[in-house]
Amino acid sequence: MPRSGYRTAVDRLCAALGRLPGIGAKSAERLAHHLLKCTEAEAFELADAIREVKSRIRHCQNCCHLTEAEEPLCDICRDPLRDQTTICVVEQSRDLLTLEKSAAFRGLYHVLLGRLSPLSGIGPDSLSIDTLVERVSAGTIQEVVLATNPNLEGDGTALLIAERLAQFPIRVTRLARGLASGGTLEFANRDMLADAFVGRRPV
Amino acid sequence: MPSARTLAIVIRSVEVFESSSIVTVFTRELGKAAALAKGARRLKSPFEGGLDLLSVSDIVLLPRASEALDLLTESAPVERFDTLRRDLAALYAGFHIAQLLSDLTDVHDPHPRLFDAARVTLRRLGEGDLRIRRVARFELFCLRELGLMPSLDTCSHCGRAVVNEGDRVGFAVALGGIVCHECRPGLAQVSLLPRESVAAMRALASPGNDWRNLEEQGRALGWARETIGHVLSHILGRRPRFRPLAGV
Ligand SMILES: [Zn+2]
Ligand SMILES: [Zn+2]
Repeated sequence: MPRSGYRTAVDRLCAALGRLPGIGAKSAERLAHHLLKCTEAEAFELADAIREVKSRIRHCQNCCHLTEAEEPLCDICRDPLRDQTTICVVEQSRDLLTLEKSAAFRGLYHVLLGRLSPLSGIGPDSLSIDTLVERVSAGTIQEVVLATNPNLEGDGTALLIAERLAQFPIRVTRLARGLASGGTLEFANRDMLADAFVGRRPV
Repeated sequence: MPSARTLAIVIRSVEVFESSSIVTVFTRELGKAAALAKGARRLKSPFEGGLDLLSVSDIVLLPRASEALDLLTESAPVERFDTLRRDLAALYAGFHIAQLLSDLTDVHDPHPRLFDAARVTLRRLGEGDLRIRRVARFELFCLRELGLMPSLDTCSHCGRAVVNEGDRVGFAVALGGIVCHECRPGLAQVSLLPRESVAAMRALASPGNDWRNLEEQGRALGWARETIGHVLSHILGRRPRFRPLAGV
């Protein structure tokens, strides 16, 4: 039996929403019905925002961070006041923004666009590691700080990058891990304590 | 279903919402499960960092009957395999094991022996001189446990025992194992394997220590690995992605 246009349009919307991370079939249906009920202006604002972000936002040619500018490079790569000898490597632009908010780092960044992940089908070739190696081989970089997440996928990604950078005379470091600032030993778990011992330093 | 406490290996973790994760676990008592871990990425969560990929955790799972995700309510770390953080080939081998557990097993279909084999293999991946053999051994164990083991003693076409048939043995991936010399001419896509390589597969698939005598870089093991690779590709419908990166 042929389906009416109304059904197929809603189905299409549900299917598209259902492909978003964390959205199951039920949530997709709920969102679709919200969009059907809300004002045209509200719905089109969302559609326009999606269209604009996809057409205007690109990856910086140097560090792969998201950039809105017409320029090939992002704000950070174009900022001459930043330390040009240090690169901090992160998995995604979101992590870069978190680090920027903390103002703890004043060097350059490199966004990998993911991390090694077996069941999401992300292998070494899916990451922007070649671009990073190119940047390092240009010669001005003295230190690469690996700020991938402190879990197995992040550690594995860091290991892979460290191997690729071993040929260059630079310092490759990994963010410290272990005890949380403001916490207590009593509530640290075994892995946190083990990490803290490995990462201990002179006072 | 009531909640169940079991050991589990995390084989996939996807971030969802603000601070939660959907983890796919291969559990000892309940088999594979996909579960929502609410607030798992918060600093203070009921999961104590016990949800890292390829680590063993003691978890409490609330299984759901329907299509819905199970709920993970608690977890504590039990064992973490630090070699995987230091040795890239070991890490890729671990990824390969996760992929096999994910793609070959069914949801809520328990295989405690397979869980134990995976755990032991993950623990020993640091022994570089045995790694290829350990992974191949796990692959064959996995195939046997799931009823997918290629036949190595009897013809997979006529069922006759295949003994002393010369230096080369026919092997048909699609039929699921070796074929005798009488069946061979009529069959399509039969490859000829040196007899030592079939013997190597038998050794890898058997209890005992014969597999340790195989040469890690030897030709017999090389053929056996290649054949196991064809079998896995045939079952999965594609090549296992991390297997070559692990050197297997
Ligand atoms: Zn940039
Ligand atoms: Zn036969």
